[in-house]
Amino acid sequence: MILNTILPFVSSVISFVFAFILLKRYLARRGLHLLLWGIGMVFYGIGGFCEGYFGAFGWNATIFRLWYLFGAILVAAWLGQGTVYLLAKRKWANVFMVVLALGSLYGLFRVFGAQLDPELMTTSLHTGSEMSGHAIVTSGVRSLTPFFNLYGTVTLVGGAAYSAWIFWKKRVLLHRTIGNILIAAGAILPAFGGTFSRMGLSGALYISELLGAIIMFIGFIRSITPMGDIDSQDSVIK
Amino acid sequence: MKEPEVRTTPDRRYPPFWEKFIPIALGTIAVIIVILLLIAIAVATGIFPGFE
Repeated sequence: MILNTILPFVSSVISFVFAFILLKRYLARRGLHLLLWGIGMVFYGIGGFCEGYFGAFGWNATIFRLWYLFGAILVAAWLGQGTVYLLAKRKWANVFMVVLALGSLYGLFRVFGAQLDPELMTTSLHTGSEMSGHAIVTSGVRSLTPFFNLYGTVTLVGGAAYSAWIFWKKRVLLHRTIGNILIAAGAILPAFGGTFSRMGLSGALYISELLGAIIMFIGFIRSITPMGDIDSQDSVIK
Repeated sequence: MKEPEVRTTPDRRYPPFWEKFIPIALGTIAVIIVILLLIAIAVATGIFPGFE
């Protein structure tokens, strides 16, 4: 039970620190991808904080709604939108941004208008020690998450993997290849944690979120830190 | 007669460990992305129960 408090609070702290670094870098360099990644990591941190709060103090309807909106629905999509701004043409990135913003507002409206029943978080699958969307009674709310998560998976994980592949194909900037692989791996973990949690593996969600935040953070730092002489080696074809 | 000089571009390589590791990692990530997409589609269509 203590782990269900400590793990998400630690995850939250790491996420907020990562968000601070991203937003500071945005202020210095002005890339919109940095701003959106920073916002996404703030959402990640809010989700973790809410999970830790639940572990420490128990049920709170507002905390639950904040967790579901930011942690379950929005985080992956907003992180992924940052990658869209990095890789796609600005026109298309703006189009997807408008759609995401409108979808997020709709999600906000639905989540804060939904009826809740905390007893439903304890089912034959869930022990009730972790937060679960089962607490939402109103139909149609939980069905929002797959669409946001699908978009987030394709753009964030796929985008990082694509970037890594491009650098690898050209055999340049090894630090960015490795960094993007780590970012993709870190982004994948919470998705699997959610799936295993749904299958009844208690603790999987919080552990995967913590590891995901750590690995993404390491990946980002790796990607902006050149490795010096070993970034590539040249050999001449005879 | 002098043979024309054949210019070759340098064949860039990462260090040997990364040359092996990176394609394996990228392939694994690609497979995982497909699995996650299938799970998301299954959840969205109701085949896999229990939204988050």
